[in-house]
Amino acid sequence: MHRGKLDHKKGISMNDVDKAVDAGKAALKRRLEGMTGSFSYEETAYHLPVTFALTGSPVHDRNEALAAFSAAGENPLVAAECLAAGEAAVSGREPAPYTGFIPDAVLRTLGYSLVDGSILGLALVAGTPADPIEAAGLCRELQEKYMLTFLSGGIIGSLQSAGVRVGTEYRLVPLGSRPSSAIHFIDILARVAMMFGGVTPGDATRLLSYARERAKAIAIVFPGLNEEEVAIIDTFRVLGIPVITPGGYEGGSWVPVRIADAVRTGMELRGIKVNVTAIPIPMACSPAFEGKSIRKEEMYVEFGGGRSPAFEILRVRPGTEVKEGEVQVIGPEIEDIKEGSAVPLAILVEVAGSQMKKEYEPVLERRIHNFVNYGEGSWHVAQRDIIWVRLSKDAVSKGVHIRDIGVLLAAKFRMDFPDLLDAVQVTLITDEKAVLEAREKAEAVYLERDERIRGMKDTDVDTFYSCTLCQTFAPNHVCIITPERPALCGAITWLDGKIAYEIAPAGANQPVEKGKLIDLERGEFEGVNRFVKKASHGEVDRCSLYSIMEFPMTCCGCFECIAVMLPEVNGFMVVSREFKGETPSGMTFSTLAGTIGGGAQTPGFAGISKGFILSDRFLQAEGGIERLVWIPSILKEEIGTRLRDHLKAKNLESLYEKIADEKTAVTIEALTEFLASVDHPALGMKPLI
Amino acid sequence: MGISTISDWTGQIGELVIGATRSEGGTRSRTLKVGGEKDLNGIGNAPLGYPAVVAYEIADDPDLWPAVARHAVGDASSDPAAWARFAEAEIRPDLIRLYCTSTRRRGFSDCAAIRKTVEEVLQATSLPISIEGSNDPAIDSEVYQKIGEAAAGERILLGTAEAGRYRSVAAAAMAYGHSIIAQSPIDINLAKQLNILLREIGIPRDRIAIDPYTGALGYGFEYSYSVMERIRTAALKGDEDLAMPMISSAVDSLTIKEVREAEGEDADRIAVAWELYAMLPAYLAGAAIVSVRHPETVPLIRDACSSLFQVHPGGGE
Repeated sequence: MHRGKLDHKKGISMNDVDKAVDAGKAALKRRLEGMTGSFSYEETAYHLPVTFALTGSPVHDRNEALAAFSAAGENPLVAAECLAAGEAAVSGREPAPYTGFIPDAVLRTLGYSLVDGSILGLALVAGTPADPIEAAGLCRELQEKYMLTFLSGGIIGSLQSAGVRVGTEYRLVPLGSRPSSAIHFIDILARVAMMFGGVTPGDATRLLSYARERAKAIAIVFPGLNEEEVAIIDTFRVLGIPVITPGGYEGGSWVPVRIADAVRTGMELRGIKVNVTAIPIPMACSPAFEGKSIRKEEMYVEFGGGRSPAFEILRVRPGTEVKEGEVQVIGPEIEDIKEGSAVPLAILVEVAGSQMKKEYEPVLERRIHNFVNYGEGSWHVAQRDIIWVRLSKDAVSKGVHIRDIGVLLAAKFRMDFPDLLDAVQVTLITDEKAVLEAREKAEAVYLERDERIRGMKDTDVDTFYSCTLCQTFAPNHVCIITPERPALCGAITWLDGKIAYEIAPAGANQPVEKGKLIDLERGEFEGVNRFVKKASHGEVDRCSLYSIMEFPMTCCGCFECIAVMLPEVNGFMVVSREFKGETPSGMTFSTLAGTIGGGAQTPGFAGISKGFILSDRFLQAEGGIERLVWIPSILKEEIGTRLRDHLKAKNLESLYEKIADEKTAVTIEALTEFLASVDHPALGMKPLI
Repeated sequence: MGISTISDWTGQIGELVIGATRSEGGTRSRTLKVGGEKDLNGIGNAPLGYPAVVAYEIADDPDLWPAVARHAVGDASSDPAAWARFAEAEIRPDLIRLYCTSTRRRGFSDCAAIRKTVEEVLQATSLPISIEGSNDPAIDSEVYQKIGEAAAGERILLGTAEAGRYRSVAAAAMAYGHSIIAQSPIDINLAKQLNILLREIGIPRDRIAIDPYTGALGYGFEYSYSVMERIRTAALKGDEDLAMPMISSAVDSLTIKEVREAEGEDADRIAVAWELYAMLPAYLAGAAIVSVRHPETVPLIRDACSSLFQVHPGGGE
């Protein structure tokens, strides 16, 4: 219907892809039936590679060609390949610079560069561009983005007329003078799949999945293709190759683009990403700096930490709204800021990516903490709207700006999540009014996220998640994360574990089938035991999720708190990392940590997160929170309100005051006396040992 | 020697073949098989795999090689092909490991020379070969391509893949049919991670040798021992991502102070002792290939390993 319609802008006729495909397929079939003589490619062990890969049959003549064509479901690529080989047998190779069929030996080195990563993907450019200069720009962009590009048809002449050199050494390979030579693009792909992908000839399913999942290829088509050629290139889509056209075609599933967007669109559609390698900021950036802190006297400026409003948030946005690498600062920059002052800050990270989901936001957002700390002169603690960020005097004297935090974040997110993120932009706000406005919106998002995990019970799910991130230093430690028991470091909830698994299926968070219940009180499950045994390399046979006395979970060293049984008072104390003093157990936090860490299972002791104290599963097997006899005041203050609410919900309001701290008791004797004086319920409970 | 143990290992170390004979498309006089163990080396009653493979290391740029190892072979060290020929005839290792030390010089760019060296060494000896390429991402791509191509069909053991730079080594192995050495810095988790990365890029399990990195005796060897032992027990407990044969090389042994400062006759004696007493426990910890640089260490380590190796019916070749 649209055939021959004029594109008024360019004044060329538009081809309807669907119609051309039908006509082209029929024409290919007719010509295949009319073939004569025998034909084959030289210098290859793969016969006619596309046909061989799809059907497993070596083809040498018309009858074999027809048999293969029919076996491959009348695939136009098979017809095109047989015809191309037939023509080469009759009229020989095209003269230089055209390569025609590329021998295996050359292909091996091309395939090498693909696996090696020195080229990122393969591109085919076919047809005849209206404007050679624009086409030259497009090919230059492909070269710059490490795409190995194959050329078919008039494009080769166009490039030469624009002064562009073509040849394998320039990563612009001229296949043939006619667009039908594009079939060699597929015989290359098929051979790469057989040489490098372990695809056996004849296993069409494996070939297609290899092409779709591993081969990063795109096709860009200019006008000038006949119906057969349209049919050939349209079939590329079966192999997962997006067909992009800067004009001349319409309809079908070809993607129309402006010529300037062709390469970017193709690479995005195929998920080909150019890696970020260096971060252009005037300070060093490495995980090596993560542990350093910036003290008050070393600091040039600080943000948040109770001294000024500050927050951070990461949101996913549609691709069109995120400009890769864009960093803006709204409000005063470093020059406008007096040394030693506290300035408001909003860190808004916006990301886009076809695989990116809203649920991933909190997991990625937590990485802001690591990334800012990677900077030699930047420091970051806490999260959400309680962040505290500092830039050092040293860094500022070397020219570091607030903007550089944004550059660092944008680059690191792209480096660490290359498969997930296509684009990252960062906005840093230092203007107080704007920060407060943006914070209000962010708080609504935090709330919405919290609602998702709150109220989830272990009984609601069949799958828990593991965390073995710490096996680098505690080789047999396995954390099991449930909706009601966050990781002992407090950093990973069940939802985070689930998402981390989606993002990195081979990563440190794996799904754990609960399996059959062994003991309800202790929270022991067959599936969990099975997983823990394997993941602990056979060291740990049983793991109770809700008990500290029998088969407690192992500890790495990252626990926020340690829960310790105190037999003298028939209860448990919990000490948090921040508390440096002595405890009624006779040991400080650090001594206790040294005793229980490293991946061991230590009955009577457990590393836990702060949040777990407020869980209904806390000490479930030992009688619940009524066993809690002592926590340091710093922790009591921190979780105070939530602890009161939690106790109230259990009708244990009076317990709050009965829980001792270092102000009421430092020794076990003093604790015994205090607990007796307040009539702590633990004293009357079943003896722990 | 055999210590009776009761173990319930469920896993088995995979087999790796190095070298290809004429009938297999190469030009080697024999192939080497390593791996196949079902228990710890030197103990246990389960059938063991193959005897230890003793590798002897040579370099294409002897200036970047320990003096004591160089002097022990005299003029032969000046040319890698002559050195390889000498090694096969006089030193008689099972495997020759060629280090392309020339690529470690600053500003190296002569990849064509690497190709020539590899071809000449392959012609000079019929023993199975292992080749160590560059360790600079800037030149890796070209160097490994050249090595891989020059040795196409010979099924060499190509080193060294590391977590940060494994693609070129892997690509060369895949393109030209070689196996690779996967090295991690004395860390079981990184060893496993690298094996997973290699699997994802398409290297089959039976074409990987794990190099857990071996520190010199007195300079961290105990860490290597412990990690090797853990890799081995993890594999025997069923972790397939660690169930590959291990290679241990005394790379650091000849550069330590005690060896460097030894003089006269002591120099060789101390060098050999330091290599031998690192490689023997490495074998016990699970290494299938032990690799040394001093020619006199070769027969000693071989005898020591075979005295511990219990041949089972139908076992090693």
